[in-house]
Amino acid sequence: MIRELSYIDVLYLIAATRWTLALTAIAFLGGGIVGLAIALLRVSSLAPLRWLGAIYVHAVQGTPLLAWLFVFFFGLSIFGFTVSPWLAAAAAYSIYAGAFLGEIWRGCLQAIPRTQWEAGASLGLGFTQQLRYIIVPQALRLAIPPTVGFLVQLIKNTSLAAVIGFIELTREGQLTTATTFRPFTVYLIVAAIYFALCFPLTQWSRRLERRLHVAR
Amino acid sequence: MSLVELKNVVKRYGENTVLNGVSLSVEKGEIIAIIGRSGSGKSTMLRCVNGLEPIQGGTVAFDGTVVNDPATDLRKLRQHVGIVFQSFNLFPHLSVEKNITLAPKVVKGVPPAEARTLAEAVLRKVGLAEKIDAYPDQLSGGQQQRVAIARSLAMQPQLMLFDEITSALDPELVGEVLKVLEEVAREGMTMMLVTHEIGFARKVANRVVFMHEGKIWEEGPAAETLGRPHTPELETFLSAVLH
Repeated sequence: MIRELSYIDVLYLIAATRWTLALTAIAFLGGGIVGLAIALLRVSSLAPLRWLGAIYVHAVQGTPLLAWLFVFFFGLSIFGFTVSPWLAAAAAYSIYAGAFLGEIWRGCLQAIPRTQWEAGASLGLGFTQQLRYIIVPQALRLAIPPTVGFLVQLIKNTSLAAVIGFIELTREGQLTTATTFRPFTVYLIVAAIYFALCFPLTQWSRRLERRLHVAR
Repeated sequence: MSLVELKNVVKRYGENTVLNGVSLSVEKGEIIAIIGRSGSGKSTMLRCVNGLEPIQGGTVAFDGTVVNDPATDLRKLRQHVGIVFQSFNLFPHLSVEKNITLAPKVVKGVPPAEARTLAEAVLRKVGLAEKIDAYPDQLSGGQQQRVAIARSLAMQPQLMLFDEITSALDPELVGEVLKVLEEVAREGMTMMLVTHEIGFARKVANRVVFMHEGKIWEEGPAAETLGRPHTPELETFLSAVLH
């Protein structure tokens, strides 16, 4: 049945945005933890650990996120495991975001000159101390713009979770379009909501970057 | 027992042999100037002493500890061996004070208030007491290098290595850094310095080591070795750098 598009539909869209945000938060948190581990593996002084990190990154970057969602949600149920959509989404997004964040952060860590590590080592600091007091503080500043850039991608990529049953912003837009048959207006509203989420983030990132520059 | 003992040290980068059987002992309190063309292996030899360069043959020992033994705790060793680099390598995100106090605090567990006093003391020694709260990029090259020396001194090392520490400086800034070096030398610090400042080497060093093609080509008391070279290689080198 086709009905008119009303402000109620807009409220539904805004309500669905909370799932977009919740998925983003989970993905970023899980991805952050995995990413940190991957970045550290990738700068390790032990070659096998570096390879492990590299294999992970290449494997995940070379496969679609959609496939990971399917594997965790439908794939595991074949073996008799019932996986809740939240758990499946958390696992798939953490794996996916972890690979990309890991690569971003590895790049930032490696952008700090070798000589900074050397200066730390020469003063008697161990690997983790060099990392914590010398490398990470400098890498952090470099990491902010690309990390926020990826976060913005992540917000938009949470729409893929619709395939395992999440009614987040894009899926809600689809449903609203189906009942009102006003795709142009509906998707314009959807786009506006995405923009309202992403734009402040990029602005915040620029401010943060400037502030860290002043404070060194 | 010598403080530093290099025996037949061999260092290769792939096919390229950088150190080809280098032996050298340094006594406590000695000041050794190491000279030679670029590529002669002098910086590499220096970096072997605190274990920054792994070696492929021979032994490097500091105060009886074999540096190239995999079981040696390099972190412990490096608390006693300071090094100052050509490119300063200060930590750009930390103030001068934090640059100096980081290692004493983190490695030795010196309390913050005491660390600050320590920083003030070593900065006075290099004549930069008023720069304690500055950041590295607010300092000239000469000042940065003096802070780097102060940072190294704050660990109270038994030996200091200086790797061409004036080579990256504008000519008018070299003097202030050499003055600080002289000051450190006067206090009885054992020093090994790779340098192109022949005049300075003659004045301050007890002994000069001339390196050529990965070997110690000639060594001896500073004035004598620099004044009457025995080998044509040293003679050529000196006439090239002195005029």
